[in-house]
Amino acid sequence: MKRRNFLKLSASACAALAALQLGDKDIFRPVQARSAAEAPKLPGSLGAKEITSVCEMCFWRCPIVGKVKNGRLVKIEGNPKSPANGTRVCARGNSGVQLLYDPDRIKYPLKRTGSRGEGKWARISWDEALDEVAHNLKETKRKYGPHALAFFDHGASAEFMRDIFKTLGSENYTNEPAFFQCVGPAALAYLMTYGYVTTGTRQYIDMKNAKAMLFIGTHIGENVHVSHVREFIEGLQNGAKLVVVDPRYSASAAKADIYLPIRPGTDTALLLAWMNFIISEGLYNKEFVEKHCTGFDELKKAVKKYTLQWASPICDLPVRDMKKAILLLAGNSPHVAVHPGRHSTWYGRGDTGRHQALAILAALFGAVGVEGGLYFPTHVKKGHISFGCVEEEPETPAKSISEDYYPFASTFGSPTSKIIEATLTGKPYPVKLWGINGVNILQTISNPYHTMEAIKKLDFIFCEEILPTETAIWSDIVLPGATYLERYDTVYTFDLLTPYLTVRQPVVKPMFEVKSSFWIARELAKRTGLKCFNYNNEVEFIEEELKGAGLTLKELNQKGGIVSYKANPYRDPKEFKVATEDGKVQLAVEDFADEDLDPVPKFVPTPAPPKGYVRLVYGRSPVHTFSRTMNNKWLHNEAPENLLWLNDKVAKKVNIKDGEEVVLENQDGYRSWPIKIKVTPGIRPDTAYMVHGFGSRSKQLSKAYKQGASDQFLVTEYEDDPFMGASSHRTNFIRIVKAGKVINLPELCPPPKDIPRFVPQKNRTGGK
Amino acid sequence: MSQLAMVIDLNKCVGCHACAIACRAEWSVPVPYRRNWVKRLGPETTAKGLAFTFYPGLCNHCDDPKCTTVCPVDPEERVFKSKDGKTKKISIRATYKDPFTGVVLVDKERCIGCGNCVEACPYEARYLNEELDDPRADKCTFCVERLAYNLEPACVRTCITGARIFGDLSDTTSQVSKIVNSGKAVRLQSKEVNIGPNVYYVGKDRDILLLQQSCTPHERKWENVMAPMRREILKAAIKRIAKVV
Repeated sequence: MKRRNFLKLSASACAALAALQLGDKDIFRPVQARSAAEAPKLPGSLGAKEITSVCEMCFWRCPIVGKVKNGRLVKIEGNPKSPANGTRVCARGNSGVQLLYDPDRIKYPLKRTGSRGEGKWARISWDEALDEVAHNLKETKRKYGPHALAFFDHGASAEFMRDIFKTLGSENYTNEPAFFQCVGPAALAYLMTYGYVTTGTRQYIDMKNAKAMLFIGTHIGENVHVSHVREFIEGLQNGAKLVVVDPRYSASAAKADIYLPIRPGTDTALLLAWMNFIISEGLYNKEFVEKHCTGFDELKKAVKKYTLQWASPICDLPVRDMKKAILLLAGNSPHVAVHPGRHSTWYGRGDTGRHQALAILAALFGAVGVEGGLYFPTHVKKGHISFGCVEEEPETPAKSISEDYYPFASTFGSPTSKIIEATLTGKPYPVKLWGINGVNILQTISNPYHTMEAIKKLDFIFCEEILPTETAIWSDIVLPGATYLERYDTVYTFDLLTPYLTVRQPVVKPMFEVKSSFWIARELAKRTGLKCFNYNNEVEFIEEELKGAGLTLKELNQKGGIVSYKANPYRDPKEFKVATEDGKVQLAVEDFADEDLDPVPKFVPTPAPPKGYVRLVYGRSPVHTFSRTMNNKWLHNEAPENLLWLNDKVAKKVNIKDGEEVVLENQDGYRSWPIKIKVTPGIRPDTAYMVHGFGSRSKQLSKAYKQGASDQFLVTEYEDDPFMGASSHRTNFIRIVKAGKVINLPELCPPPKDIPRFVPQKNRTGGK
Repeated sequence: MSQLAMVIDLNKCVGCHACAIACRAEWSVPVPYRRNWVKRLGPETTAKGLAFTFYPGLCNHCDDPKCTTVCPVDPEERVFKSKDGKTKKISIRATYKDPFTGVVLVDKERCIGCGNCVEACPYEARYLNEELDDPRADKCTFCVERLAYNLEPACVRTCITGARIFGDLSDTTSQVSKIVNSGKAVRLQSKEVNIGPNVYYVGKDRDILLLQQSCTPHERKWENVMAPMRREILKAAIKRIAKVV
């Protein structure tokens, strides 16, 4: 499927409804100082000037108010009028203050003076910086054609610059690590099953009204998106039962009624056995399946061989526990929140299939369009704006990176692994220039050693950055971007259970010489000779977007910066329809079969750890976002480094104590920076875990540099998902180096014969 | 007489640390000091099963605070007013328990920064920023300054799951007194340290057990304060006098 079809699909999935505006009952009244002289004297943040805006400490984008005293941002709170988070923001949202005032910020445009990666820079003017970027964009295109330009993008700041690469004619105008290193397989699985991206940036899963919930590897609470966490906890408070499947006893697992410590890489075996069980026992929702699903017979046939007895040794779970869990879930259908998951680039082969299995399981429960199940987005109307950039897709090259490697990659853009391969090998065509915005590629993409090699081969690389990350120190030109607290962006609409419309606006004036993403993109377009971004400033297009919602910026601000709408998440069974071609849920995906891929998921085992090693998995800390916040003064103070979770029995056998500092070595011989051990019974003996994003290699991040170990720099072995080309991250294994001595870790739960052991291979898709 | 109190529901808490940072922002608490914290506990095996929970902590505004007894500052009489206009005159040192709200506060004007109260607190809920020329003890105030404007404490306002319940224990209709009176809430106290903390916790048995095992104080720290600290008090006093002179 091409990207435009995908966009069409998701648009049609958002069944438009006449938005019903709620009355302004709870007018937002901050504590006001009686006079300007009194304000600074009031204690704490009281009496501060309050400006409503939108957070970007992560992509969930909670509505916020910035509290400003004497021109300085002192505090951030949730926007009390927000139906999603109210006055609440998470630790990171609270710490936006320290992103703004981080002394390590990139303050001026910079030009590299040393070698790439060395971090030596000269301060240059904006004119010089923009002219140099524009010149290189034009020159590279003239020499090698438009596809030699590639853009790595993420978040709000990247949205404008993306249009430059697209307008210049590159098919590689988006290769978002957010898809190819994170949510891609899950997004594709749900798109093909239900016709809309049930799990992408947003996740349409009604935990609040569920009677039972299922999490496979999802660890809400460590992964914090405020309204999502709130709905999860509300669901539990309402009495929902929780089943958590995870090799690690996560914060979610700690709240579970049934916790299944599954062998990593075998989740699909469990899901297929569960499906077979409820089909053969007649426990599935027959009415829903008959009326609203296609492919049931094919599914039934395909899963027949997967029994609980078969799954038990594979998953390393007792049959009775697996049975207890599925009976609990089926007994509460259709109000079962089968969480679709988010980060799904785990093992390469089988990733799309695992999330397809989750999508199918939800349908077998009839848990779609009902309270407690998957639900439909509520479209919030706003005006369409055109920046005058090219709107049609760029011309496809003879051999396309986006379309010719993986059949469903172009739904999301160009696979990052193939951009890097093309940069290294010149095949299928040379890629010579990278632009990067909003993503620290070296701490995000599998095998950073490959990425660094590729960067060395580029003619030119530039980025827009806020902090001197690894990506910045590998760039030729660094454009200092404004933080979300210093700029406008487009109008934001929220289409979940509490729909609203709001706008990001600057809370303080931009510091130093930093510029907004729109300004940077507009200037670059001008200097590249593109007729693009035909608005003088952000407010002009914001007003146009707001016009479509019947508002002006002034009116929106008078209403407290946000307008709420009524949600329409559920469907009457008579009117139930999903946005697939036949309007039905696809239990077998024919489009997959057309590409010689499995229409119904199969269990594809991922290789087990080699002897002496355990599998490395990773996750999130609630106080950090990716690798972006480790230098934040307040967040760094809460969690300055990560720890390696090691099973207590394993630790005892090799005499490793809690708190000991060690080095990790992966199967390819790459070693980490020192990391402290956390000895715990809360992880399987064949698995080790750490929080992602630590161990920064940029010396210019004065707080984050060398704090803890980077999981990413141990991910050198990866496979691409055969459906959409996302790179795997949990296909790496570690052992421990203590005081220079290599320690092999004992194997306390050996894999069954059905699971092959990892053998290092040369010339794989990824890795060495 | 009122006693402001907090109940923290560990079933709702996900350990996100928002409380700790909102407090830091609201009161400009410098890193690495804190008035409000979250410690991560576990996963650990307990007698009630595998537990992984959190210790969101702050000053307990104890019924029988020991921090106020070790303050070397000369007592002074002060008249306190209640919300309904009653008054009460009591003698206070530089740190004291408000007779009408039960909140333990520091009189920053009179604090000499000796650090006795910091040493005395068995919950380690106070700090002294010794990098400053003229440090004063600092701690959680239950945000009485915000309460005066009918605003909840900063940590309560930001708590993403509503795990912090704040109110007056003397008001039997308040949510805190309902929970406390139900007998389900526990406080972090031991045989040795039994001074009536007013922060309560509710949660699963295994989580409460892990919390109590890991975080209940046993050391009567206040008993060891006076003697070894005398020199520090003298130093602080001299510093203050020198400054005035």
